[in-house]
Amino acid sequence: MKRNRRKLLQMLAAGSAFYGPWTVNRVWSQAAQKKPLVIGLTMDASGQYGASGTDERLGAMLAIREFNDKGGVLGRRIEALHMDTETTPATGSRVAERMITRNEAAFLVGALHSGVANAISQVAQRYGCVYFNTNSSSPTEAGKDCHRVKFVWDGNGTNFAHAIVKNAIRVNGRNWVLLTNDYVWGHQTSKATRALVEANGGKIVEELMVPQNTRDFTSYLLKLQQIKPNVVAAAVGGDDIKALRQQVVQSKLDKAFAWINNQQDWPDVYGLGPDAVFGVFGTNWYYRLDLPGVKEFVAKYQKTYPGVQIKVPGNVFYNGYVSTRELLRCVEEAGTTNNLAVIKKLEGRKMSAVDRMQTHEAYINAATHQCQQTIYMASYNDKPAEPDDIFRILSSAPPQEVEDKDAIGACKLESYEATPSYEQ
Amino acid sequence: MDFLLNLLPHLYNGISLGLLFALIALGFMLIVGVMEVINLAHGSLFALGAYFAIALIGFKVNYYIAFLLAPLLVAAVGMLLELCMRRTYGKDSLYGLLLTFGAALVIEEVIRLAWGSGEKQLVVPPELSGAMLVGGLIYAKYRLYASLAALGFIFLLYVFLEKTPYGAMIKAGAHDSEMVRALGINLTRLRLFVFALGTALAAVAGIVLAPIWGVRPHMGVDAVIPAFLIIVLGGVGSFWGAVLAGIMVGIVVGITGAYASEWSLLSMYLLLIALVTFRARGLLGKKTALEA
Repeated sequence: MKRNRRKLLQMLAAGSAFYGPWTVNRVWSQAAQKKPLVIGLTMDASGQYGASGTDERLGAMLAIREFNDKGGVLGRRIEALHMDTETTPATGSRVAERMITRNEAAFLVGALHSGVANAISQVAQRYGCVYFNTNSSSPTEAGKDCHRVKFVWDGNGTNFAHAIVKNAIRVNGRNWVLLTNDYVWGHQTSKATRALVEANGGKIVEELMVPQNTRDFTSYLLKLQQIKPNVVAAAVGGDDIKALRQQVVQSKLDKAFAWINNQQDWPDVYGLGPDAVFGVFGTNWYYRLDLPGVKEFVAKYQKTYPGVQIKVPGNVFYNGYVSTRELLRCVEEAGTTNNLAVIKKLEGRKMSAVDRMQTHEAYINAATHQCQQTIYMASYNDKPAEPDDIFRILSSAPPQEVEDKDAIGACKLESYEATPSYEQ
Repeated sequence: MDFLLNLLPHLYNGISLGLLFALIALGFMLIVGVMEVINLAHGSLFALGAYFAIALIGFKVNYYIAFLLAPLLVAAVGMLLELCMRRTYGKDSLYGLLLTFGAALVIEEVIRLAWGSGEKQLVVPPELSGAMLVGGLIYAKYRLYASLAALGFIFLLYVFLEKTPYGAMIKAGAHDSEMVRALGINLTRLRLFVFALGTALAAVAGIVLAPIWGVRPHMGVDAVIPAFLIIVLGGVGSFWGAVLAGIMVGIVVGITGAYASEWSLLSMYLLLIALVTFRARGLLGKKTALEA
């Protein structure tokens, strides 16, 4: 009898240990009963964009964490599954295929390199899996390489060129040299810059191609001095732009020409030192924008990721966060994870400036699937309020002013009928 | 004439780049030559050198002292690696390749854990930084000093290998290790020393190149591929072959960077294909028994 009572007590203790947390947190208990919603994070952890890929992953993870804290989405806990896409298109395809076919990912999120984004989106379209290109900026992504399942969240090369070229010709001069990273984003961005320069009376005197993973820019810097342009418009990204910036500073050539970097990603400039932040460049977000919600967002970042090297969030983190958050909101609104229902929620979607912590309202162009948003021009901040305050925002352009009009003609989205229905 | 005048700075740049490439390749060459091991961890040790120097400077150690100390620390890591490699000697060379490949991954991850995955800066003293004019064109001073440092290390290594008994032992070890052992030289210790020297040279190259290329955990990948290419181009085990090949690669990359920039990285591989097609043993490689 005594032994039976002890056994009963042990069973009660085990039962309360197992069920206790679920009864305390009913939301979790409900979510746990359903199949988790897997979001595949197709983000670089190595290669040219390894640093930025890590940054956008943190952004996406924060959005997922926020939803999980509220009980997940549609009563399902969200699981983030990350695989390194290695800044390599072939790896991007392989990772996407694996996430969809083996890991039952409901959605794919992430890209820095436009070649990788294009490769992932081709696989995603074949299965009908909604894919968010968070940070790759080739105009072709929402142009000729657009897909019904793909949504592009960053500003693209054309957006940034629209924001900067006209004024730069007026201020700096007509003779331009293009410094172009030799892959799809560089090509397309320089193509857009060339068209705008020539349309505004400027002249491209030379275009120098920069192969990916170039570490020594001395021959380029010597060549630039021989050409003597007024403006050097660089479409160089990732580790390449870090090396370029360092070598320009070492050679004291930062003031020899007007430098324009089409888009400057935060992880590519953070930690290089103030000298390396020269020229004028574009961005779609900055952590010291004087707008509602920005300070709280920065505080949340710092609280969530206290040990990371980048102490304040930048544009790449921001894009990872806002895009993933919007995806989960759309799933919630649609009441299903069905791809076509979610796509319909996204197409033409309007997002308030306050919600996105930008100056102007943003919207997703239903014809191209690109998020049209505020584009900021920035330069080095010589009066920083704190050590990380290295950007000075010069101007902000509303999305309508900088929209890539050519993309609308170039983008041929697959019909709904031609897009497989997909639901996980 | 104008074309030639324009070409001159690019030639100069190519030679200085070539010296840096040669510096990267020398340690690699030494280990391949003596131990017949392709050390795939060479790039990671190159990166580790830069990180150790940054850490030492962070502890207020003088730049020049850090420049000397960091390679010694990396040499110690290299010695540990050599101890791990001993079980692979005499076996299929694939074992050594796999081990050094694994070591490369481990070292890179340890760097990420210790220093994070973001960009670091190796700040050089003011007297080494700034710009200067070369033929009317601005050139980074540090680049000149880096090339001179590379030249200095190449010379020192040459003197060591050619003029000291230790160098003679290393060369003999590379030529016929069994005979060296038969002569009573401790081959185990010799290999340990060569590995330490090779990895210390990798670290030196890492420290010299860090202010130019930038410091990040995967920076070694940028070094190991040209290093491998250069020793094949120069002839495996040939000191001057590696130096000559390094300079050739530098000139080709420098000039194509200026005149056909999209080919600049590819040009070194084209050079290798062209040369190996006509001279399979590389520039100064020894003839094999079959060719003799």
